[in-house]
Amino acid sequence: MKALGSSGWKGPVKFRMPTAENLVPIRLDIQSEGQRYKDAFTWNPSDPDNEVVVFAKRTVKDLKLPSAFITQIAQSIQSQLSDFRAFEGQDMYTGEKIIPIKLDLRVNHTLIKDQFLWDLNNFESDPEEFARTLCKDLGVEDPEVGPAVAFAIREQLYEIAIQSVASARESRLSKKGRRGSDHGSASKASGLSMDLVKLFSFKSSVVRKRKDLDVYEPVVDLLTSEEVDALEAREERHAR
Amino acid sequence: MAAKAPDSGGSGEILPITPSLSETTSGVTAASQSTQPPSSSSDVDTVYVPSYSRWFSWTDIDDCEVRSLPEFFNSKSSSKNPKFYIYLRNSIIKQYRDDHPRKISFTDVRRTLVSDVVSIRRVFDFLEYWGLINHSSSSSAKPLKWDEKSAGDASSEPPTTVKETAKRICNGCKSICSVACFVCDKEHNSKAYTYEKFKRVELSEESKKVWSEKETLQLMEAVMHYGDDWKKVATHVTGRTEKDCVSQFVKLPFGEQFVKESDSEDSLEAFDKIKGSADLESGGSDKEGSSPNKRMRLTPLADASNPIMAQAAFLSALAGTKVAEAAARAAVTALSDVDYEAEKNATGDPHRQDANANSGGDITNSERAWADAKSLIQKEEQEVEGAIKEIVEVEMKKIRDRIVHFEKLDLEMERSRKQLEDMKNLLFTDQLNIFFHTRKARKSEDRVDC
Repeated sequence: MKALGSSGWKGPVKFRMPTAENLVPIRLDIQSEGQRYKDAFTWNPSDPDNEVVVFAKRTVKDLKLPSAFITQIAQSIQSQLSDFRAFEGQDMYTGEKIIPIKLDLRVNHTLIKDQFLWDLNNFESDPEEFARTLCKDLGVEDPEVGPAVAFAIREQLYEIAIQSVASARESRLSKKGRRGSDHGSASKASGLSMDLVKLFSFKSSVVRKRKDLDVYEPVVDLLTSEEVDALEAREERHAR
Repeated sequence: MAAKAPDSGGSGEILPITPSLSETTSGVTAASQSTQPPSSSSDVDTVYVPSYSRWFSWTDIDDCEVRSLPEFFNSKSSSKNPKFYIYLRNSIIKQYRDDHPRKISFTDVRRTLVSDVVSIRRVFDFLEYWGLINHSSSSSAKPLKWDEKSAGDASSEPPTTVKETAKRICNGCKSICSVACFVCDKEHNSKAYTYEKFKRVELSEESKKVWSEKETLQLMEAVMHYGDDWKKVATHVTGRTEKDCVSQFVKLPFGEQFVKESDSEDSLEAFDKIKGSADLESGGSDKEGSSPNKRMRLTPLADASNPIMAQAAFLSALAGTKVAEAAARAAVTALSDVDYEAEKNATGDPHRQDANANSGGDITNSERAWADAKSLIQKEEQEVEGAIKEIVEVEMKKIRDRIVHFEKLDLEMERSRKQLEDMKNLLFTDQLNIFFHTRKARKSEDRVDC
């Protein structure tokens, strides 16, 4: 292994979101009394727990939902938070992971498709700022797109963080006790990350290949109401 | 943006009016706590910002924001910085104003802002408390910071009263209110029930005759606000009818001066100081133009029906320690000056007033000199008084020190006396022991001898 590879190995890190702010993505999808409430937002797990109920009450009041939703919302949030906290004590290996993050979301009338590389090791990264900048640069007028983008990014980061915890546990169980090179190969095997070594070696260049250009370009579409309805109907069908 | 701003670039819109005093549930209105000019317009496009939130500006962060939302300013996390706070705050307010006068809900806001929802909620609540968003004319009680912390107290509600013309029946215990009752005029929002929201209204007969200082202060404020509108004055002064207010005002020795709106108002300065030094400038030069502004910028002093200390504490928290100190000092000097002026003879008053007025064309030099001399004399007297006070204080201190010294000596005496007692006791026991021993010895001697 080249020196570059082994120097990249880091010891296990305590689980947390690999971003500057340790925020948890929370998704809600509650059906009750014939009404459906879907929502997605980010939550700061270090906030006191009474905030959950306050938030639930506020939301139900603002959206004029039946009050049965309050407990369901609160419970859902609490369970997702406790899942997150269950992971928190454990180790995760991040290694040299640059992962592609894909966006494919529809928010009201705006459709966004994008793909970009994200450095998992950068614990100072800020999906919120990325989302704000993205919306500003692409001239997205709908203000609800920003939070959705940030949420999507966080969700994917969360997934990957969970996977790295799982893989860390596996490798410990297998009791091989070898060094970082094994971790490098294990994460490569997951097929998600890219090998920095290959990417930045003297043979290849940093400039992206032409065939990848389309994939990595952000696309914003504004839909008309009929298209929105059509898409929604299709989604409902898929969900069933 | 649908906002009318007298200054540009947002040093906060000055708001007025809320003719809907009748909307508030009970009589006594805290609505006067936002400034009210006499005219009335109900322009839907105007955004109303309460005067206690005048500090708001799009580009700056005020001290009270730093104090109430410290999480953004303590640099514990890199992304929760002041810039981010400004982004949140400005977006919320913009969103509210775009859709004004419709009220904006927290959920609307948090769906459009890229952040974690609890931070958004805190900023939203802060802005709502300060009336920068969702400010409606009827709910115009002052935001009290401790409402969040004292939410626990909300469960213990003091009795509210529904005002009936003659008697008052307490909502809590269903008996007739006798001595005083607490009135809350905010809408029935369980979150908002804290003891500060209730105003004490005196009902006893005695209070009708003797005007307490609080009431006099309230009267003065009210008159400065509303001028001749005695109805409003009466509502502002708790527990007094219009007639009472008018008669008391007339009885006040300096009543005349207030009506003429002279700018030698020390109390005006005191109020202005509370609002910040910028207002002092307007106090001097432009009289006509500034008098309506002056009125608008006045904030009533403490709502004296509530415990004064509570309000004073709130105000000082609101304004910061330095301003509160300056205000307190100014208020004290103003009060003493007001007493002073009340003792002046009648000829002195018009002269003094004229001397300070801008339309000084009619005044002769001699009159002015006379007025100056008089003010000099007054200053001297005050200085002398101050000196005497100091001397008295020093003497008092000396006496106090001596007393302390004597007390110490006394203590020492006691101690040594006690020691003496102990030693005496010891001596006595020793003597007894010896006596017994000798006795024993003699007895044994005798026995031996026999």
